[in-house]
Amino acid sequence: METIVELRHVTKEFQGKKAVQDISFSIKRGEMVAILGANGAGKTTAMRMMLGLIKPTRGTISLFHKNPRQKEVLEKVGGMLQEVSVMDSLKVKELIQLVQSYYQSPLALSTLLELTGLQEEVWNQRTEKLSGGQKRRLNFALALAGNPDLLFLDEPTVGMDVTSREQFWQKIKELNRQGKTILFTTHYLQEADEVAERIIMINKGEVVGDGTPEQLKEKLTKPRVMFQEKSPYSLNFYRELPYVVDVQKEKEKVTLIATNSDQLLQELFERQLEIQHIEVKLGRLEEVFSQLMEDTKGVNENEIFLDAK
Amino acid sequence: MKSFWMQSKAEIVRTLRNKYYIFWSLLIPVLFYFLFTNIFTAPRDDEALWNVHYLMSMTTFSIMGSSIMTLGIKIVQEKAEGWTIFLHITPLSQFAYFGAKMVAQTVIHLFSILVIFTAGVLINGVHLSFSQWMFCGIWILFGSLPFLALGTIIGNIKKVETASGISNLLYMSMAITGGMWMPIDVFPSFMQQVAKWVPSYHFGNGAWEIIREQYPSFLNYLMIIGSLLLFMVLSIYIGKKQEAV
Repeated sequence: METIVELRHVTKEFQGKKAVQDISFSIKRGEMVAILGANGAGKTTAMRMMLGLIKPTRGTISLFHKNPRQKEVLEKVGGMLQEVSVMDSLKVKELIQLVQSYYQSPLALSTLLELTGLQEEVWNQRTEKLSGGQKRRLNFALALAGNPDLLFLDEPTVGMDVTSREQFWQKIKELNRQGKTILFTTHYLQEADEVAERIIMINKGEVVGDGTPEQLKEKLTKPRVMFQEKSPYSLNFYRELPYVVDVQKEKEKVTLIATNSDQLLQELFERQLEIQHIEVKLGRLEEVFSQLMEDTKGVNENEIFLDAK
Repeated sequence: MKSFWMQSKAEIVRTLRNKYYIFWSLLIPVLFYFLFTNIFTAPRDDEALWNVHYLMSMTTFSIMGSSIMTLGIKIVQEKAEGWTIFLHITPLSQFAYFGAKMVAQTVIHLFSILVIFTAGVLINGVHLSFSQWMFCGIWILFGSLPFLALGTIIGNIKKVETASGISNLLYMSMAITGGMWMPIDVFPSFMQQVAKWVPSYHFGNGAWEIIREQYPSFLNYLMIIGSLLLFMVLSIYIGKKQEAV
């Protein structure tokens, strides 16, 4: 598949502070990609640079092999941004029709209505009288108005209730199945894990992981080998086993955190240890994520996990 | 091209729905006109002339207000609320965005002129020849250009409150010094000298000349065009400077 988004060694500095540091990745047509990171990690800056709203200090960005600011690129791109209000004193319908007129082949009004779940009675309301949720739907409708091939969504579900969130992701998946490329930022791990085929993890402006949720788990997390002792061994004994990074022991229950669980198991069998009920668990992405979050000041970790649930 | 007309239409609709526009640019000038030609009147040699003179004062006052205030503050508001950012990621060009605002303002001005002129006819039975009405209308549309440019300078301000404060101040001080509220002949001589340097005086004076069966003076044209160029250059310069940050 053709590459339609490409970032090469992109850095953005704001008054000497690096918001994004030397990030490089590319996205192919039809992908559904999450950019995952804590608040202030550089997700929004990265996305705004891709949209050509801010210029990178160094590095290059191309959309459809062209400069993101070119008109023919803008024809194929749609965006739902944070902190973007809509034009006031217009009715919802008038505003959507206006934005449709900016594009050569816009989506039909009825399709937009169906996709965004905007009720028909909202249609004739003034934009400034909408509730928060209705405004998000309107923003979504405006992002889709031009029937874009590539859709950018910056924290799209913030402020949505659980049902709207589910509906929203259903529609996004549907759009993705129709062949649209989707790139969204989120600080909800669960959302990234469930919705995206690929996650790009950003921490302190740097890409710290890029792959499918499974690949990330494999790469960034460590497997655990757990068992019960039939006869006790010392903590030091475990620590000196090859492939073991850490040991946890509670009574006869032992957890070995390994670099490679397959080889560690082989080692355990070869040594004929007196153990039983062996279990192997792959690491959890939450751990890696929470570790990253701990490094990021000013972010309430609990909030992230409560939200994720 | 379709987007340009749609954009202009939307801007016109928005202004007509704007309560501030209706109040400040239509109601207040008409009310002032009524008060200062019927209630608070000094004995005058030529009452009919005063009635036409003040009609032109109030029309230019209204148009100057909506140029500076409606245009400038809306631009600031749209920027502050992020709407302009959204437009940046659509194919609508900056040129079309500003162009549509200018077209819309001109249509709105034409509407304001018609409303206030009609009010003059209804309230005081003001009488002018057809060509005088036309010439006045065209002059006022033309003379509004520097104030639209001034509106775009206001549009560079970051906060809505600051923008509204500054534009109010500019608007009121130019209205007074330009002789829109009362003729400059009643000013002390120092103030009369000041008036000759403010574009609002020349804006008003063009129309005051026309109703006296004269033509706007060369200096009126020069000041209108000169201040238009000055404000345009300033607006572009400030805009570029902000972009660089």
